[in-house]
Amino acid sequence: MSVGEDETHQRLKAAVHYTVGRLCQKTGEEHRREFSRQVIAAIAETTYRQCDTFAKDLEAFARHAKRSTVSVEDVKLLARRSTALSIFIQNKSDELNQEQRDVKKKSIGKRKNRDTEIGE
Amino acid sequence: MAEKEAEIGFNRDTISKLLSSFLKEDKTRLSGDAVQLMAEMLKIFVQEAAVRSLKQAESEDCDQVDIEHFEKILPQLLLDF
Repeated sequence: MSVGEDETHQRLKAAVHYTVGRLCQKTGEEHRREFSRQVIAAIAETTYRQCDTFAKDLEAFARHAKRSTVSVEDVKLLARRSTALSIFIQNKSDELNQEQRDVKKKSIGKRKNRDTEIGE
Repeated sequence: MAEKEAEIGFNRDTISKLLSSFLKEDKTRLSGDAVQLMAEMLKIFVQEAAVRSLKQAESEDCDQVDIEHFEKILPQLLLDF
């Protein structure tokens, strides 16, 4: 039971490490400096542990609002400590809503066209 | 356009599984939008960690960003998040 869990965590850690490595590489290239392998590992480990804190906070926020599903509102609350971060998350959330509205409009348009074709 | 395609970020599936693995209650779920926003937030977290460590290394005139630079900026990073 716990071996399976460990494997999952190892795989997730590896996935995080991979993306962290790529982000660090890009940052390093932009500033003409390299990140040591140790520091990339340290950032990856910290990010992984921060997810634990985030997840538990999100769960607590949702429970407080008497919901069992974590929503965008909970994520916004998570970003409350930094104004810049709050604004960024708000903007991303608005972007997401706009994208979803665009997708809906497209699919309604397609359906109308399809209906007229079948009618003929 | 080419920039957007080369954008690095966290895989939605990975974040979903990662956050889910830390939840305490079985019944708690994560909405799709929440996962997507969390992926963005974690990307910012990593970028902040990277840039702050890099600035620290620069201020110390070091060629390579090393763990000691990260250690110095870590407390403030955690407080800011």
